Amino acid sequence: MTFAAPTEFPILSLVLWLPFVGTLLCLLMRHSPQACRWLALLATLSVLLLTVGLFVGLPAEPGWLLKENYAWIPSFGIRYSLALDGISLLLISLTALLQVAAVLISWKQQEHPPLFYALVLVLETGILGVFLATDLILFYLFWELMLIPMLFLIGIWGHENRVYAALKFFFFTLTGSLCLLLAIISLYLIHGEQTGVYSFAFETLKQTQLTGGMEMLLYLGFLLAFVVKVPLFPFHTWLPDAHTEAPAAGSVDLAGLLLKTGIYGLIRFAFPLFPHAAEQSLPYLAVLALIGIFYAAWIAYAQTDIKRVVAYSSVAHMGFVILGLSAWNQLAWEGALLLMINHGVTTGGLFILIAMLQERTGSRDLRGLGGVWKTLPFFSAFFLLFCLASLGLPGLANFAGEILVLLGAFARWPLLAALAAAGVVFSAAYMLRVVQGVLWGPLGQSCKIDVKDSLPTDLDRREWILLIPLALLVVWLGLYPAPVLEPLRGPIGLLLQAGVLP
Amino acid sequence: MSGLELQSLLPQILLALGATAVLMLGAWYPSRNWILAGAAIALLAALSAGLIAPAIPEVAQLYSTGSYARFFVALWSILGALTLLLSLRYTEIHDLPGSEYAALVLFASCGMGLLSAATSLIGLFLGLEAFTLVFYVLIAFKREDSRGAEAGLKYLVLGAVATGFLAFGIALIYAASGSFHLPEAFAGLQQDGGMRALGLVGWALMLVAIGFKVSLAPFHLWTPDVYQGAPAPVTGLLATGSKGAVIAALVPLFVALGPLKADLEQILWVLAALSLLAGTFAALPQRNLKRMLAYSSVVHMGYLMIGLLVGGPAAYRALLFYLIAYTVATLGAFGVLSSFSQRDDEPQEYADFRGLGYLHPRRSSVLAACLLSLAGIPPLVGFFAKFGIIAAALKGGYPGLAVIAILAALASLYYYLTPIIVLFMQQRDARQLRRGGRYEYFVLTLCFAVLLLLGIYPAPLFQFLASLLP
Repeated sequence: MTFAAPTEFPILSLVLWLPFVGTLLCLLMRHSPQACRWLALLATLSVLLLTVGLFVGLPAEPGWLLKENYAWIPSFGIRYSLALDGISLLLISLTALLQVAAVLISWKQQEHPPLFYALVLVLETGILGVFLATDLILFYLFWELMLIPMLFLIGIWGHENRVYAALKFFFFTLTGSLCLLLAIISLYLIHGEQTGVYSFAFETLKQTQLTGGMEMLLYLGFLLAFVVKVPLFPFHTWLPDAHTEAPAAGSVDLAGLLLKTGIYGLIRFAFPLFPHAAEQSLPYLAVLALIGIFYAAWIAYAQTDIKRVVAYSSVAHMGFVILGLSAWNQLAWEGALLLMINHGVTTGGLFILIAMLQERTGSRDLRGLGGVWKTLPFFSAFFLLFCLASLGLPGLANFAGEILVLLGAFARWPLLAALAAAGVVFSAAYMLRVVQGVLWGPLGQSCKIDVKDSLPTDLDRREWILLIPLALLVVWLGLYPAPVLEPLRGPIGLLLQAGVLP
Repeated sequence: MSGLELQSLLPQILLALGATAVLMLGAWYPSRNWILAGAAIALLAALSAGLIAPAIPEVAQLYSTGSYARFFVALWSILGALTLLLSLRYTEIHDLPGSEYAALVLFASCGMGLLSAATSLIGLFLGLEAFTLVFYVLIAFKREDSRGAEAGLKYLVLGAVATGFLAFGIALIYAASGSFHLPEAFAGLQQDGGMRALGLVGWALMLVAIGFKVSLAPFHLWTPDVYQGAPAPVTGLLATGSKGAVIAALVPLFVALGPLKADLEQILWVLAALSLLAGTFAALPQRNLKRMLAYSSVVHMGYLMIGLLVGGPAAYRALLFYLIAYTVATLGAFGVLSSFSQRDDEPQEYADFRGLGYLHPRRSSVLAACLLSLAGIPPLVGFFAKFGIIAAALKGGYPGLAVIAILAALASLYYYLTPIIVLFMQQRDARQLRRGGRYEYFVLTLCFAVLLLLGIYPAPLFQFLASLLP
């Protein structure tokens, strides 16, 4: 891998800590919700501008584009080292975009708004840190840092069953994380004994010589932490609860970003550190991913809560991503990463729309909804667009990723890929059921207009501002994904080389 | 004692004389301000420990005046001062006498400082008894409170038994080796034959006493009742200083043990594992914050035992770091409890905390931070503490203990999160506000800042601790 020279200006640290500064300011100004709201928007928008600037300004080259590296805890060999390549660049851009959306969708947050925005901003720092850290302990710290704000976001501002969902989410991911920690420390000690250099730097630890059994054991530690977060069947059971109970911003962040940290961990750390063990695990991952695609689709079809449908659809989409990764070739990986980005945008958009719907009708239950198109035509148009994108309609976002995954996977696992293609049909089934149940048919129980109320109002200015960029992105990613694939190509090539090609 | 020896032991002497002075003067001029004076004396002692270089390295073959000992003398003095600041409003609302209270806390700090500096078994015994006696009084300081009296009695009876074990154990070791002074006391036990068996029995008896003092399972049964009955600031001191001083005294003891440690390995392994497991399982169903913290302290002592068991500079450094992290977080938690307590009720049950997070966001956040730090969640200092211990266990060849420690950390999240959930995620009761005092806020702010700063940048403390180790 080629190394870029350490940058003069610590732009990565700036991006990373800007939201955190926003958090501190929010806590200072906690007596003025209005100020906090604008502050959160300002912080997330500045991060977005910075990342877009990086996206436009940096060349699409393989290898690290920016690096920062400082001593932090020398007695343990822990360093504060950040690095950015094409993959992290795309993911931090997605993070920045969805965080702006998360702030905007919670604009009318009534309960303890300062704390809410403070937590959303800490969460952003945590997610950005995961995508940027190259020291394993630093990575782990940010990985844990994502958990606490999410726990509170679900637990305080969630819906009916929130504490249960928050704890379930927390314990599932924490169990995985602690296995990760144990594996990281073991790897560090093994490397230290071999070379005398005690370091948590990813590039250093990659050189460790491991015996087969030990490699598999450590790999499983890493794998468990990451597949729980993805989530891969059968570790997905926390996801529907957490997604459903979380407030709108929480759902957007969970589906759009937190799931991606799992995939990112796999490709950045688990696969390159343990290439032989990873190679052995690929068939199992592929089969589990395939089961996940069908199982999630099956369950999703039986749900009546639309948030749950979308939550299970995330499991199915992540199944496609893992299937793509397990094919271990350039095409499938490009597709998987593209699908990851696309899924972030479409599912984030869907959760935003569901929040808007719930604001207007007070319900997410398919049995009580219906005929929304008659009262809220603009809203419904967006809803339809994002649903179609989610089910993989050609020309919209998810299709581009899915087709690449399927093509790539076909080269490696023809049978599995053929079966997975059928999964696309399943996703059409449950998504169309949602579209039908919400938009068409007779006016639902929850959508009846009260005598005293006038018509529920269609989108207001804030919501237009929020939805139009996302909708444009969905179309753009579907029709012309090349600008996104460009920065991915080089790093993916390097990652695939670093491991062993089967 | 020569003048040089007195000068070398100046911090402890300052504490003891200061305590006596406060006690005497308080009899003539009863005032709440003696508590502030006591805090000032304790800070003075801490300063003298930090700034004045001792003239001789060891006093009367009893107490060391090395940098390790001085550091802990300063630490326990500061802890005493902070406890007194936490107690100012507490003693006022419960109408407790100020000068006696201040004097007792100063005596306790002095005892802890002596214990952590001990270089002989006699010094160890004297230091330990000095502050244990004080705690018998402090725990039952609220005379009208029946639960306090019960707690005091429990601590007294079990403490007396433990003292007996300690004295007998020391006597046996002395009989076997012919010395109280630390390296020599164990040197006689190294070779086989002779009185070695007797010495080992003495060790076993000493371990029982130590296990009682720091509440290792299976000697931990007094802990929850005593924690619950004692006044909150006293519980804070009991949970931090009285256990920490014993642990701090054990490190030089174990360094002096040398190869003899191999004989104790299995006992220590069992004690550590048992404490981790028993503490965890007992803490899980608790619905009372003080009892939960009591059982969780058993778990923390298990972690510290791992550090002792592994041995070597890296493990001892991790152990001391863990001890400091634990001390700060526990003091903060009990500090919040003290500041929430009112004239006629001291909140302990989780139900008392319902929705308090929005009435008192700052203090509730400090409590949450302390609990999360105890649970080992980054970016608080508890994370690097646990990290150091687990890394040491793996490096020292104890993967089994490392796995138990990780599992205990995972389970601990449940009992640490439950109060946080009660604080922030339940409906708010329309109760009266629980106002705290200025000094309490100061101490809590300090704890919070230390938790966060050391959590983000622990490197200097790690280096400093490494330089301290004997």
